[in-house]
Amino acid sequence: MSESETTATKARAPGRFLFPRWINLIAPVGAVATIGGLLYATTIFAFGASPKTMAVGYAPDQPVRYSHALHAGKLGIDCRYCHNTVEKTAFASLPATQTCMNCHTKIWDKSPLLQPVRDSWTTGKPVEWVKIHNLANYVYFNHSAHVNHGVGCVECHSRIDRMDVVFQAAPLSMGWCLDCHRAPESHLRPKDVKITDMDWKHPENADEAAALGQKLKSEYQIHDTAYMTSCYTCHR
Amino acid sequence: MNAKPPASVKGVEYWRSLAHLSDTPEMREMIGKEFPGYDVDDMLSPGSRRTFLKLAGASMALAGLTLSGCRRWPEEKLAPYSTNPRGRLPGAPEQYATAMEVGGVAMPLLVTSYDGRPIKIEGNPSHPLSWTIKDKIGAADSFSQASLLDMYDPARSREVKLADKATTWAAFTTFASKQFGAMKGNGEGFAILSEAADGPSVADMRKRFLDAYPKAKWVEYEPVGQEAALEGSKLAFGKAVRSYLHLDKASRVVLLDADVLGNHPAHIRYAADWSDRRRSADAGEMSRVFIAETSFSITGTVADVRLPVDPSRLYAIARAIAAKVGVAGVAGDEKLSDTEAKFVANAAADLKENGVVAGGGALSPAGHALVHAINEKIGGIGKTVTLHEDPAGDRPSHVKAIGDLAADMKAGKINTLLIIGGNPAYDAPADLDFANLLKQVATTIRLGLYEDETSKLCHWHLPRAHYLESWGDARAWDGSAGVVQPLIMPLFEGKSTIEVLAIVSGDSVTEGHEIIQRTWGTTLPKDGFDLAFRKVIEAGVAEGGTYPSAQVSVKAGQYPAADASQGFYLRFIPDSKAYDGRYANNGWLQETPDTLTKVVWDNPALLAKKDADAMGVATGDVIKIDVGGGSLEIAAYVLPGQPVGVITLPLGYGRTASGHIGDELGFYVNKVRTTQGFDVAAGAKVSKASGTYKLVMTQDHHIIDTIGFEGREMRIGEKNEGGLIIHETTFAEFKSDPKSAHPGPRKVGLQLFEEPDKGGYTNTHAWGMAIDMNSCIGCNACAVACQAENNIPIVGKVQSDYHREMAWLRIDRYFKGDVEDPTVEVVYQPMMCQHCENAPCEQVCPVGATVHDTEGLNTMVYNRCIGTRYCSNNCPYKVRRFNYLDYHSQDPRGNWAKPYPNIPDAQLNESIDPVQKMLFNPEVTVRMRGVMEKCTYCVQRIHNTTIAKRGQGEDVQDGDILTACQQTCPTQAIVFGNLNDKESKVSKLHKNNRSYAVLHEELDTRPRTKYLAKLRNPAEGEKKETVG
Repeated sequence: MSESETTATKARAPGRFLFPRWINLIAPVGAVATIGGLLYATTIFAFGASPKTMAVGYAPDQPVRYSHALHAGKLGIDCRYCHNTVEKTAFASLPATQTCMNCHTKIWDKSPLLQPVRDSWTTGKPVEWVKIHNLANYVYFNHSAHVNHGVGCVECHSRIDRMDVVFQAAPLSMGWCLDCHRAPESHLRPKDVKITDMDWKHPENADEAAALGQKLKSEYQIHDTAYMTSCYTCHR
Repeated sequence: MNAKPPASVKGVEYWRSLAHLSDTPEMREMIGKEFPGYDVDDMLSPGSRRTFLKLAGASMALAGLTLSGCRRWPEEKLAPYSTNPRGRLPGAPEQYATAMEVGGVAMPLLVTSYDGRPIKIEGNPSHPLSWTIKDKIGAADSFSQASLLDMYDPARSREVKLADKATTWAAFTTFASKQFGAMKGNGEGFAILSEAADGPSVADMRKRFLDAYPKAKWVEYEPVGQEAALEGSKLAFGKAVRSYLHLDKASRVVLLDADVLGNHPAHIRYAADWSDRRRSADAGEMSRVFIAETSFSITGTVADVRLPVDPSRLYAIARAIAAKVGVAGVAGDEKLSDTEAKFVANAAADLKENGVVAGGGALSPAGHALVHAINEKIGGIGKTVTLHEDPAGDRPSHVKAIGDLAADMKAGKINTLLIIGGNPAYDAPADLDFANLLKQVATTIRLGLYEDETSKLCHWHLPRAHYLESWGDARAWDGSAGVVQPLIMPLFEGKSTIEVLAIVSGDSVTEGHEIIQRTWGTTLPKDGFDLAFRKVIEAGVAEGGTYPSAQVSVKAGQYPAADASQGFYLRFIPDSKAYDGRYANNGWLQETPDTLTKVVWDNPALLAKKDADAMGVATGDVIKIDVGGGSLEIAAYVLPGQPVGVITLPLGYGRTASGHIGDELGFYVNKVRTTQGFDVAAGAKVSKASGTYKLVMTQDHHIIDTIGFEGREMRIGEKNEGGLIIHETTFAEFKSDPKSAHPGPRKVGLQLFEEPDKGGYTNTHAWGMAIDMNSCIGCNACAVACQAENNIPIVGKVQSDYHREMAWLRIDRYFKGDVEDPTVEVVYQPMMCQHCENAPCEQVCPVGATVHDTEGLNTMVYNRCIGTRYCSNNCPYKVRRFNYLDYHSQDPRGNWAKPYPNIPDAQLNESIDPVQKMLFNPEVTVRMRGVMEKCTYCVQRIHNTTIAKRGQGEDVQDGDILTACQQTCPTQAIVFGNLNDKESKVSKLHKNNRSYAVLHEELDTRPRTKYLAKLRNPAEGEKKETVG
């Protein structure tokens, strides 16, 4: 073996590459990071989507202790007597003080509970109610688009007619909205049932319910799923 | 980036600016940079990065603090009415007819109001001066639409002031009854200086005022108006007569400096009528417009034959045309140059075919008289132009009126002066020294929207109610009277003109609504007055109230020969943004680029390339103008097509007390505007001064860079930029070959993106748009409509310089032809999101924030966007805008030179001015910092109309949905609709022979917006050779 040959061989021979010793940590660190990451993600999603975060059950104090259970439930006043714009506009407006006074000039006209209402009536200043069902500002929910196409009040607001104090019953999350937008069939009611009827039940028989849902979907000309789940349907 | 551009870029047929054409190294650097004008190294320097991280950390900590233990949303209140107004649906928009008076002429409007807040201004579709389609669409110009922002301007004056101290209306009323009570029946030394106001109630109050004070004076002054035309009609007919053009009936139009499409009280009507005779090209008939003008106007840009001339030549041309058509008493002795002679010969020959002549701008009263004589001679009167009595025209011209008043003030004959509106201390002719005279008057009272230059010099300042806050009435150009209806109670305790006049005259009726009822009681029938009056209010106009036709004939007149041209001419024009200065504090207008110069936030002097070269001046250099003792230093803008020897000076800048937005902007050109040189000043000396001035022009923003050019060259070869983006032809060629506008099919060498789903969009609706470049006049009405409709913020001059303007809709203005040729041509192309079916932006968004919906809209989902800006980078049309800062809450006049100012930043609703917040359209999300945005085809209008129609069990019909830009376009150049409906207007336009999709054949983007090629109708021998 000549000298030059040795040099050439040396240069060509693959020297054994050794990872530095600290690289051994990669396995435990990797494992911790993976588990930690998963835990983190789970926690974030769990808390982020928990009913508490979504404010389900949110029932703030209102200036007047108005009871839907009494008015809508026991007395059976139709929702639209007060929320009269629900079929015409995006916003289901709150009643003007005048609407309250239609009755309360005669009934309970001395009740201290109604003092804020009478104040509003005399001063012309509004009663300031606290908003419960609050969506993000980039969400454009339209009441009329829903109630005119067979989605009853109860579908989203639950049994308002049994609530003494109104609370948010549904999470109002995007996932919750999409559940229905993907399969509106199970949330539609026939045209001859009042949209405000809280007692009406979907057929219990699954086949019957599905058949009715399909029928109503075409009757109300509900858009297809692709349209209903397009971003611009709700965001703009 | 430094690669040499391909050869064809050098010879582009269409170019955006001189810099673009000459392809300077600076220009190439600007195009190549992502953050032009802004040092990237500084952005990444350790100092600022450390500051950024520190601040970012701090904001995280703060966020943690405030979020812990809180509910997700801040608590919101709902406040229903105590008593619901009859018929009001909370949450539903309502529309009311009203009108805005500018220079004494009403612009009829329809204002949309949400829960009592006016949020959008459109034209009144029931008014002939506004409708483009009767009872369906009404157009409004950029100024009247933007006046909404003025109403919500936090800088407006909020209280009555005496000697700069706040006081009350009661104090003024007490003062008034004492001060004016003593003058009753006399009024010696009492004068009212009013802006032009022609409404029946103001006229009535004026009469009552003069009855109460018989020796008092009423002076009317406007810095911009139709004064020469008024004087000209007096010369021609011996009395004031108003002309009303019927451009829909005229086949040939000859304009002598008359910017009838851009700057005329009836320009909406004129533009609509003009466009009728352009659209008819598809049916084989098209008008031809000749214009000789002293400053490049928007009418000039769309005229078929254009001749830039100086003011003395303008009159010479009027005279020569008159001689050619045979007007008696006009000798054909004018010496004309070859181009002028050709223009005159063609114009005079064409006028015989159902023609009309109109004058304006720098045309002298004698020139206007000639215009009437020509119209009479060619038999146009009663056909293509009608003449109407002008009952208010029996007054001295505005310049003379204010000159006489100034003389009286100087002589000490005026002791009490009430100034209504206007801003004479800022805009009166400079030689009158009005501001100083004002100080010498014993008692001065000012009624104004702002505490401006004039108010600052007056003893009393009275806050004026905006026209959207007060009752009034006004007359449109045709003389028809309408009611100005308020949409909201005065925000700042203002009172209207008629209410203040009532106080001054000691009238028993002092409330605006009662005053107009009293006035209208004299013209409407006594029986059923209430109903009749309500009808007027509802329609915004009283039927049959137009000025009667004038039975006059042209008197034989003396038409002296034209003077020789002398020195430089200064031509004063109202600015397309600030007008005469009254909109200086209006950010929407300030940031709407000027149609021709594309300058924002400034008013440079416009001069011709030849003049600039002679002086060694380039755009941005400062020039010095000396005229009649006055002198002005102003930034120059070299405008192709500007007549040689004429410097155009746009008014409206150099304000010192307009409010925060408009103060200390631009140049105070009123300094050299005198009684003698009011519209035009002759004999000016112009020289180059030292220094340069930073002008911000959006013309070269979003231009396609060199790499883009090279890539396209590689794929397509041969054709240059212009041919791909702009298609045009002449009317004659179009008639022989309807497809002649298009360069022919091109091969796409490379399929960049995967094929989109071709089976899609079979739904009921497939939204699309068509834009007719043959009708577009570049008037900016659509741009302002978009700004108002879509809550688009303004960013300021500094941010505009970084190419960060937010306008979703820009109007690309291309020049065509040789830069030295003064008759250089112009093409407008409104450019916004094309809603490509095969959208390049969608391919690159990492988070799916821009995707297609099932009706073919390219949706932009703000809540998904993380701000990578890949989409904008990949958009070949450059129509996406990124919120670099939280612009709604930033001061547009601030200098946000650093990349991360104001962190933890103010992305809070609270940081937006509470008054201005009322202006937001509740149907559109107010975007925050870090979010991409772009034209949505007004998706809120699509959805709201669809929901309303479907709620009634109907489907949307063609024309039910109007995008904001389409709605306000005076020439109906923009049409939107359903492409799946084969009978819809837009479907038909997409199939029109002139239609083409920009960049579609090169990039296979399949845009939903198609353009209709431009047609020109040059006269014999005027046709230009096209390059390339």
